[in-house]
Amino acid sequence: MLPELGVILADIIFPIFEYISPYVPGEFFPNFFNGETQALQRSLLGSLMVTIIAGFLGSFLLVRNLAMIGDGLAHVAFGGVIIGIILGASTPLWYAMICSIIASISIYELQSREILTGDASIAIFMTGMLAFGLVILKLSGRAITTDIHSYLFGSQLLIDWENLNLISYMSLVSLIGLFTLRHALLAITIDPLSARVQGLPVRKIGLMFSIIIAIVVVSMVKIVGALLVTALLVTPAATAQLIGRSFKSCVFWTQIFGFVSVMIGLYMSSEHGTGTGSSIALTAAIIFVIIGLLSGVSKTIKLGKM
Amino acid sequence: MEAATANQSGLEEPILEIDNLTVFRSGKLVLKDVNLRVDRGEFVGIVGPNGSGKSTLLLAILGVLKSQEGNIKIYNSKPMSRKLYGKIGWVSQAAANLPKDIRITINELVHLGTINAKNMLNWFPMKDNGQRKRVKAAIEMVGLQGFENFDIGRISGGQRQRAVIARALATEAEFILLDEPLVGMDRESRNSLLKLLDRFCHDNGKTIIMVSHDLSAIRQTTHRMIFLEETIRFDGPSANFPDLESLALARGITHTHEEENELWLRNLGDVKEER
Repeated sequence: MLPELGVILADIIFPIFEYISPYVPGEFFPNFFNGETQALQRSLLGSLMVTIIAGFLGSFLLVRNLAMIGDGLAHVAFGGVIIGIILGASTPLWYAMICSIIASISIYELQSREILTGDASIAIFMTGMLAFGLVILKLSGRAITTDIHSYLFGSQLLIDWENLNLISYMSLVSLIGLFTLRHALLAITIDPLSARVQGLPVRKIGLMFSIIIAIVVVSMVKIVGALLVTALLVTPAATAQLIGRSFKSCVFWTQIFGFVSVMIGLYMSSEHGTGTGSSIALTAAIIFVIIGLLSGVSKTIKLGKM
Repeated sequence: MEAATANQSGLEEPILEIDNLTVFRSGKLVLKDVNLRVDRGEFVGIVGPNGSGKSTLLLAILGVLKSQEGNIKIYNSKPMSRKLYGKIGWVSQAAANLPKDIRITINELVHLGTINAKNMLNWFPMKDNGQRKRVKAAIEMVGLQGFENFDIGRISGGQRQRAVIARALATEAEFILLDEPLVGMDRESRNSLLKLLDRFCHDNGKTIIMVSHDLSAIRQTTHRMIFLEETIRFDGPSANFPDLESLALARGITHTHEEENELWLRNLGDVKEER
């Protein structure tokens, strides 16, 4: 049996939350920190972990021109969740993970063998798997319950210890994977043929990356919801591209924008009841627009001076 | 110089040996009966009109084509074999192919050249196995020092091309293949790049095969020229390569300055075929 990583992390990080809780603004927002409801602390911890790993993955997705794969795999994962629920699984995320790993590898194979280039393969898996889930849901005679609904739009407050453990492990595994592969990934992205000539196992690296994408997406589905996964995966990374000057600095800025989006989003949703997933997504998009306008203005000023 | 003596005595193995290479791509004959031998320290220019199979020849040497007949040996090994990892540097067609919307600095780009199967899973950012030194050396070789932290999207085409070559140099490969490195460069940066490549062959003992359709530039710099059109139609010292003037005179052709290059290539094809 694996140790309960979520519980271990909580033991370390919840005291930090409690320590800063007096300085947190808002009426309801401090409850995420102060430990009166552990469910809220769990949701904050889960959100932060997911944001960190989504930011790292997003930076690589953008350079590999795979921005939409997150959305596609999230739909596949949602289909997997429905299957899991129908089969009576206590943690349907496992089913989601198996489905999206299979889909992710298939998409990679289709693209690298040039059978279907671009987003077409993503579109097929996304709709096919989602439809499959919905059809067997009808066949089983059920309707879309709140439980299923929560996977569409995210349900931070429903994160129990089991979910937190699973999400912690997924984040840890994908973080280690991405960190280990970071140079190789960049090399096979920028110039795949040169990478092959240098002796890098391009196919293996691509496959491992596909698995990592699937794991990260599934870890996000419970928290931000299948429909909004792309918001945390792509938007902060895209914002970072506007101001970063190197790949490293882009990775750094992605983390900043992701963190700010989550914090403002959680604040808005807890104070004004705007819904967590959508608030986070909206904040991320607004930050993109603001930074985009600012960098546009500063470029114009620079050009004007020259 | 050491290389030259070895060549003359014929003791050294050739770097590249191609026997009767025939390549079909999507059912169409692209290369037929190509025979080629390249020795260490040679700077070979391959020219030919569009679609003459120049790039295909390079891809065959790299070993990424699916169907081909004939034999290719590099350092006495089959293309893409394990022994060749890190021995070949590849500079792909026009650095313009680099995605420009990616924020990556020259330093980061060149560093990718130092990644291989052994060090790609580097856990400790501090432990770099001399990679940083190789990056610095490669950047200096192409004369981009001072630009290390410039984003490749925001430098000129010539600088980007140099950065891509530096990436190939950082692999510390002895044998470098370049596909159309001169595209989109102005005369000045083109000349300095050619000088640079020439120096690699002379001073550093590297072997270079460069594909281009800029005939005059290649003729001035390379030692040996190959005219390729489905098969090798000319192979010899660059000085013996017929220049456009003599070709045009021989056939009574007048040409406009813009089409000079294309015309030269086309005429070469005709002349060789008649012979």
